[in-house]
Amino acid sequence: MELMKLEIITPNGVIFDGDVTQVNLPGSEGEFGVLAGHSTLVSLLDTGVIVYNRADGREVAVAINSGYVKVDEEKTTCIVDGAVALSGEDTHIAQAIEKAKELLKSTQASNASIASAVSKVEKIGKSF
Amino acid sequence: MANLKEIKRKIGSVKNTQKTTNAMKLVSSAKLKRTEELAKRSRVYASKLTELLNEIAQKMQQSNVEGIDNIYFKDIQNPTKVDIVFITADKGLCGGFNSQTIKRTNKLIEEFRANDVKVRLRAVGRKGIDFFKFNGIELNDEIIGLSAAPDFKQAAEFISDVAESYVHGETDKIILVHNGYVNMITQEVREEQVLPVDTSKLELNSEVTSELEVEPDEDDTLLDALVKRYVEYTMYYSLIDSLAAEHSARMQAMDAATKNAKEMVKELNVKYNKARQESITTELIEIISGMESMK
Repeated sequence: MELMKLEIITPNGVIFDGDVTQVNLPGSEGEFGVLAGHSTLVSLLDTGVIVYNRADGREVAVAINSGYVKVDEEKTTCIVDGAVALSGEDTHIAQAIEKAKELLKSTQASNASIASAVSKVEKIGKSF
Repeated sequence: MANLKEIKRKIGSVKNTQKTTNAMKLVSSAKLKRTEELAKRSRVYASKLTELLNEIAQKMQQSNVEGIDNIYFKDIQNPTKVDIVFITADKGLCGGFNSQTIKRTNKLIEEFRANDVKVRLRAVGRKGIDFFKFNGIELNDEIIGLSAAPDFKQAAEFISDVAESYVHGETDKIILVHNGYVNMITQEVREEQVLPVDTSKLELNSEVTSELEVEPDEDDTLLDALVKRYVEYTMYYSLIDSLAAEHSARMQAMDAATKNAKEMVKELNVKYNKARQESITTELIEIISGMESMK
């Protein structure tokens, strides 16, 4: 599969910067997926979970509270306010899940979207 | 003899000062390291945010031949009301760090006043507030404690007040002045136009030709949110930058002070020894002349 660049940046540093095959983003107008070669797009991001597949095929999830995304043909840049990464390699996965839930619940988003994001985090947490 | 005692007392006092300045230097260098790390991490975020905003502005410029009509990007030739936000430290003892910022702010005010532009001042940090209050210059808004411990929420609150008055047309321009960090030994006063976003500095990238899709696309929701974020973050980043510069300036000042104290102790020691020898010589002369007279 064709690769593209993904960057996830928070005020506290870079969460991820590397090649991915695809990424799913929680846009404010609904979730959308991005593959390499996507046309240029700028969108607001809602409280939710970014899911991406790294070049080695591993799936990684990042819970975010809010932010922006800029997509162009080669690169996707997510600028988010707060993020917690959840990956299977993490030994403190339980802690990370707790943190992610806390982050999601602290936002001002509607209860429904928080609930859906939290359940998603739980589901991803179990799959590792 | 009284002279000897006095010199000794002086040496003790200078040594004490040296200890204090040395400790302050160490504290500052530790704090600088932490702040530097913070600045490094937030710099990436700040630059990406600016990049994104620039790109949108660029697209708008391309699609709108007559120029940008958006309130955040409009080009004002002759502003009549300007807001200046300046950041100083809460504490002194950091060389010319605060006075440089104040000087630059004063210069700006003079320039604007000469052109009949109304200036409103908003101050962050005790030193700047004290200076302008002492000189009887009115401050529109002031906050203490923010420059010593930058907090995103507080910074956002402070600057969004200004941004709101810009949106309501109470001011034409917002300028941010702070003393920024360059490296361990250099600071540089930076002057930044926060609003309207300065499009003249944009590097127009003509290669970008694909249509920009914006979501949500109604009523500038995205742009509003993005600009708000940009303004808030510019403020926050300036605070961090200013704090790093403050620590580096203080480190330098305290280093110089410690060195000076060391030199002074050396000089006083020489003086003390000379005085001591002198008194011994005088005593000897007294004894010898006493003996001579008894012969």
